[in-house]
Amino acid sequence: MSDIPAKRALPSKESALFKELLTLYETRQLKKGLKTADQILKKFPEHGETTCMKGLVLAHMGRREEGVDLVRKGVRFDLTSHICWHVYGLIHKGEKNYEEALKCYKQALKYDKENLNILRDAAQLETQLRIYDGLVETRHTLLRIRPAMRQHWVALAVAYHLNGNLTEAKKVLEHYESTLKNIPDYDVEHSETMLYHVRLLEDLGEFTEALAMLDVNAKDRVIVDKTSIMEIRARLLAKLGSDEAEHAWRVLVEHNPDCYQYYEGYISNLGLSLDVSDASAPKTLTILEEFATQLPKATAPRRLALTLASGDHFTELVTPYMLSGLKKGIPSLFSDMKGLYTDESKQQIIEKVADDARNQFSAEPSSSTSKDAEPTSYLWTLYFIAQHHSYLGRHAKAIEILDLALSHTPTLPELHMFKGRVLKRAGDLFGGARCLEDARSLDGQDRFLNTKSAKYRLRAGMVDEASALFGLFTKKDAPSPGADLEEMQSLLYLVEAADAYNRNGNLGLALKKYMAIKKVFDEIEDDQYDFHGYSLRKFTVNIYLNLLSWEDRLRSHPAYIKAALSASAIFVALHDNPSLGTGATSGELTSAQKKAKQKAKKAAEKLKEDAKKATHQTNTNDDKGLEPPAKDDDPDGSKLLQCTDPLERAAKLLNPLATLAESKIEVWIATYDVAVRRKKYLQASKALMRAVAIDAEHPELHIRRIEFRQTVSALPETPQVSGSLLTESLNKLLPEEVSAEAFNSQYLQRHSTSAPAILAVAKVMLKLQTPREQVDDTVFTVFGTEVPLDIKSSLSILSFLRSSKSPREDEFRTRCGEKFELSTVFKSAEELEKLRQVALAPPQFDAVSSDKTEDVMP
Amino acid sequence: MNIRRLRVEDLAGMQACNLQNLPENYTNKYYLYHAMSWPQLSYVAEDHKGRIVGYILAKMDEEAGEETEPHGHVTSISILRSYRRLGLAKKLMLESQEAMATIYRASYVSLHVRKSNRAALGLYRDTLGFTVEDIEKKYYADGEDAYAMKLSLKP
Repeated sequence: MSDIPAKRALPSKESALFKELLTLYETRQLKKGLKTADQILKKFPEHGETTCMKGLVLAHMGRREEGVDLVRKGVRFDLTSHICWHVYGLIHKGEKNYEEALKCYKQALKYDKENLNILRDAAQLETQLRIYDGLVETRHTLLRIRPAMRQHWVALAVAYHLNGNLTEAKKVLEHYESTLKNIPDYDVEHSETMLYHVRLLEDLGEFTEALAMLDVNAKDRVIVDKTSIMEIRARLLAKLGSDEAEHAWRVLVEHNPDCYQYYEGYISNLGLSLDVSDASAPKTLTILEEFATQLPKATAPRRLALTLASGDHFTELVTPYMLSGLKKGIPSLFSDMKGLYTDESKQQIIEKVADDARNQFSAEPSSSTSKDAEPTSYLWTLYFIAQHHSYLGRHAKAIEILDLALSHTPTLPELHMFKGRVLKRAGDLFGGARCLEDARSLDGQDRFLNTKSAKYRLRAGMVDEASALFGLFTKKDAPSPGADLEEMQSLLYLVEAADAYNRNGNLGLALKKYMAIKKVFDEIEDDQYDFHGYSLRKFTVNIYLNLLSWEDRLRSHPAYIKAALSASAIFVALHDNPSLGTGATSGELTSAQKKAKQKAKKAAEKLKEDAKKATHQTNTNDDKGLEPPAKDDDPDGSKLLQCTDPLERAAKLLNPLATLAESKIEVWIATYDVAVRRKKYLQASKALMRAVAIDAEHPELHIRRIEFRQTVSALPETPQVSGSLLTESLNKLLPEEVSAEAFNSQYLQRHSTSAPAILAVAKVMLKLQTPREQVDDTVFTVFGTEVPLDIKSSLSILSFLRSSKSPREDEFRTRCGEKFELSTVFKSAEELEKLRQVALAPPQFDAVSSDKTEDVMP
Repeated sequence: MNIRRLRVEDLAGMQACNLQNLPENYTNKYYLYHAMSWPQLSYVAEDHKGRIVGYILAKMDEEAGEETEPHGHVTSISILRSYRRLGLAKKLMLESQEAMATIYRASYVSLHVRKSNRAALGLYRDTLGFTVEDIEKKYYADGEDAYAMKLSLKP
């Protein structure tokens, strides 16, 4: 630039120093850089660009706050310097504050319109923020400045594509390809670009052109990805209704006979369907059986055929399929068959085949050395039969068969694992944990068994004991096993641990783990940032575009939904009863909780010390980057519990779910719970209307219909703006002329055989101040023979009786214990403590050293 | 069991499968880096419900200079314990190897395996034809040695 403002201009010596400073920063020679900056500032203390650069260097050295202050100061010294704004942008970007960063970059570009670095960064920020019209403009500028760079062309096409203008994207690619010369054979980057071009044509509906382009480029070996060529070819031919499509799909099936999508493609191209209820099922079945004959090693056509076959034909197909699995000892055979259980007649056939196999295998001498019937076949058959019965709710039968198998071979971990699962299903959580620990101790090197055993301990509420197991495989230098699993983004661990704390009543740590799950998703969202540049340099455009749309739906993941709903419920409870977050719980800490608290405190102290050390080590040249260090100043979650804005936090967590999980009624119930407490009545009513549209008779919705009317009618006056709309939807939720009492009893009449509905009615009765005995009598109707009562509902009811201080809590507990014979969850505290000890005792059998292990797991 | 090329939406499932099975774990970004660099080389096995029960995460070796021939590397491969004995590891490996050879013209594929992991060693050596090239002392974080194995992909 020509006119340098006087306050920016430096004499030649300092000007040279400043250039040196830039180089030193680029090469991360931070210490020297700092010295150089100070040298300039000594003479020119108000030089904006130097001040900013010094701040940037300091931030990299770990002296963040000081650095950021200097950068701000520097910008104020020189508001028209692109360097100052660029540096300020870098600082914001380091904090992942992308909006502010982009603003700074845009300022910088005002004063240096063609700065490549800034333009590139701005494009990445615009993509991250999904500002696609701005992105098109930025990519245009980049292309104009450097048209010789191949990636600038593709980047512009992608920008148009993202902004919804496919036609313009196509034009850019065409222009780009016409300028290309001398492309070497087997250029993977160019191959990917051409595949992208084909995809664009397909998305534009220009199938003939897409096919022609694909074929020409495949033939010329420009596109080298054979699998993609075959897949796209088959798809395009099918869309064009071409005769060649059938062959193209067949080629794919032969290429990878274990890929379901290829069979689906082949079959739907013929106008048939893999859906068993479709009239064409017999025809489809014939085709699958032909494939099975032609491809003797493939399991996919055999398994798909089982879904479509019925009656004797099914028996004919399923018998060899199962026998082969039982003889090979395939552990997943049952979970493979389970999908067929929607058809009751298939259940019966499968049971018969398994029983016959059991008889056959048990008849043969177990010492037989013949290859055909090893003793393991008998064992795996018992394993299968146990799974079958357990799946159908016959827990006692399943246990009986597993015990038989275990007496035959006590060293097969799968048997212990499954016994544990049966006990867990039957409500014996400690027994389940005991069995899983038996399984784990048979093969201590196997992390799968380790994870399962720890998970079962968490389910039984033994958080510290679970942590001890996790620690056998996590990094030894991590602050705790949980910290390592959190760093590795183990959603399984975080969800299970959070739920365990939640059930144990340790709301602080529960909330902390739920928020850790939220953080994992924030990280994954940030992860895409670098690829806005990287993928375009690598020309891996196709998967990159998929990445962007996947990231947009990231929080539809079950772990996020679970965390958001559970954390929101805790935040709501904290709003209703702030004492939950203060001293109230600490009075009743169990010894384990106390230990955990102490541990957490120690960890926090260590972190503080580390942070201190970091700030003192200013002499080091180590680059600490621009991201602020993660620090944990709330190790036990007590600060979270005492936050002053629990409802706002809950609303933020739930916000993405309104679009990403809108078909889940729980989302709308939770949204209502938060909105009504924030006095956002219109939003609350809308949430309930969404819930009505999903399941008008849902018990949780029933409770809230009545609660909502009571809340609104208790208001001194209906809110003016939304008044009429509100009255209207209120009337839809609960007709004006019906009293709450009548509405409640009508609901009970409609759902008198549903335990969750009965509980909902009881909760409403209590709110309407119905006498206690009447409430409890209603609750106890769940023991009626016509009510299918499960353990989960029973536990919810028990917790309601407890929290509402019913005199009949113990009676309910005892009756559940009788009803669910194998369960232990309804036992008294003392009994449970004994069971807990049993669950943690060392295994009682002779483990590991036994040679039998080798026999069973060759 | 369904065997197919990796999609972006599989990454979380792969990561979960890895954490459940193996002591060597990575954050999402490392999986993403593989997918965004060599989208054709990684494969997954999924069950009927679409749950990832096994995967192979593979790459091309970038350190290879101009003179040396390009070669592939298996970063991680694993099958959930309950889905073993279905031959999934072999199938995944073969799909990945074919992609390495045809798309990137890899001359060979390499991998590391724990010295104590006899089952995996058997699969690589006896079923897939890998040979032990070298022993890398203390390759793993816990101090265990690794066998560096190789398989030629030349026809």
